Amino acid sequence: MYTALPILALSLFDQDVNDRWSFQYPQLYSPGQLNLYFSKKAFVRCMLHSAYSSLILFFIPWAAMHDTVRDDGKDIADYQSFALLAQTSLLVVVNTQLCLDTYYWTAVNQFFVWGSLAAYFAITFTMYSNGMFLIFTSSFPFMGTARNSLNQPNVWLTIFLSTLLCILPVVAIRFILLQIRPTINDKVRHKVRKEALPAPTPHRKPARRISTRKSGYAFSHSEGFGELVTSRRFLLKRPLKSRPVLFATTESPLAQNQPQHYRTITEEQDPSV
Amino acid sequence: MLSAGIVIPGFVVIGLVFIGIGVALFVTSRSITVLEIDYTGVEKDSPCFKCSDPDIKNCGCKVDFSIDTLFEGPLFLYYGLSNYFQNYRQYGASKDLTQLSGDLASFKDPSDVCYPYDYSVQKPIVPCGSIANSMFNDTFKLFHIVKGTRKQVALDGKGIAWWTDYNVKFRNPLVNPLKNAFNGTTKPPFWPKPAYELDPTDPANNGFDNQDFLVWMRAAALPNFRKLYRRISEGEYEKGLPAGNYSLEIAYNYPVLQFEGRKKVVFSNVSWMGGKNEFLGIAYLVIGSLCVVMSVVMLIVYAKFKFPEED
Repeated sequence: MYTALPILALSLFDQDVNDRWSFQYPQLYSPGQLNLYFSKKAFVRCMLHSAYSSLILFFIPWAAMHDTVRDDGKDIADYQSFALLAQTSLLVVVNTQLCLDTYYWTAVNQFFVWGSLAAYFAITFTMYSNGMFLIFTSSFPFMGTARNSLNQPNVWLTIFLSTLLCILPVVAIRFILLQIRPTINDKVRHKVRKEALPAPTPHRKPARRISTRKSGYAFSHSEGFGELVTSRRFLLKRPLKSRPVLFATTESPLAQNQPQHYRTITEEQDPSV
Repeated sequence: MLSAGIVIPGFVVIGLVFIGIGVALFVTSRSITVLEIDYTGVEKDSPCFKCSDPDIKNCGCKVDFSIDTLFEGPLFLYYGLSNYFQNYRQYGASKDLTQLSGDLASFKDPSDVCYPYDYSVQKPIVPCGSIANSMFNDTFKLFHIVKGTRKQVALDGKGIAWWTDYNVKFRNPLVNPLKNAFNGTTKPPFWPKPAYELDPTDPANNGFDNQDFLVWMRAAALPNFRKLYRRISEGEYEKGLPAGNYSLEIAYNYPVLQFEGRKKVVFSNVSWMGGKNEFLGIAYLVIGSLCVVMSVVMLIVYAKFKFPEED
């Protein structure tokens, strides 16, 4: 709920360029056609990014909690506080990364991102509250953890450190790639910032849809079957004589030694059929 | 959002902020003093070597140490264990929270997760489970040696556990006297005394409300951990421990050698960032410097590869 919904909202509602610009520059669809977003290279890049983030999200809290205590001397390196710290860092990292990835902020997007953070803290404090513990004792053993660990400055400093350590390399790499090898999306976005919106196409009203589409659709990557169908290569051309005979008799009209010719849409009606 | 005007100054600002925070953390961590004394007794010349023999019961040993300068208070005395995996899943789940919140019905019927520490000699164990059973039972007494006389340093054991643990999570059954609530049950196998005798002198510290018990039940996340034992903040030692010779008397009961663990005593003072932890300060300093370096690199890249204007 905290992590899946914002990402769903991003993937459904995000738009990298305004739709009018998409009409102006149909080359924006070429990365999707060329399979740029759904290739092995993209997948390996994702995996490396997630491996790096996971290492950060565990080892930074581990090193920060090693042999340390609260500011009043009491315990903070216990199992429940450590788990809470790792989870909070994760939430903050995911939502910050989402904010970084969102180019088109709608009300829905804002609601999901801030809503998920707010929901996380609301649910955490509720689950770790006295009330839930007193009603369902065995199910809520983490009682008191949020209150006792999240009021410590070194916990928040650790969360801040892990968040920035996960996000800053992504920002730096994207910026450098933007300068060295800008993609067609980046070029159009740069133009968007410089110029005004192009005039809407005169035939229809400008689209006021909330539903948007990412220019490079992930799955429009292969050629499709249009070529095969229109070339008539799938039609039966060779004579039936070479085929094994289905029936013993050869005088039935089915066993004609003529190819069955099916006309295509563009052909004229064959008077012989 | 990724324009040069935002990213490069942003990195510089973040880098400088990090360096500032890093300096503050590092300086604070440096000002915290920690004194660790390992008393497992593995080495032959260690004062507790005689106690490391598992056959000896009720062994006591004395560790002498000295302090050069005033050890500023308020001081906290911790016991530390190493190679001790309180985060092991089966261990960590082995407790019955309904028992520990004083529900008499679960006194007679401990939860299954407490196995094998749920029943003993045909009686239910209260408190059940591995965590409770393995409670740390070494005790310490600190003496200050002044002109040949031994003066005992007062150790304060009140309020060492989390207030939510003491007030809400763990409650004694509402039976007076407490001993009657434990009729028909037995103590955990490793315990020398049953729960209602953990501190007979103070009813607010007895049974499940015992502060040492609560501190132990808060299972640690890492295999090398320390838990708060006492505070030194009363009387003439309010300002801390003055320089001089000290003697720590230990009642060595807890066996750690069979799993190659270590026991130690840690004296530490605290600050706004907690105990001594140099990692955060150093990490902030390193990351801050890297940010500043990266911003310079990005500036160079931006200057060389100016964004192409053509389609």
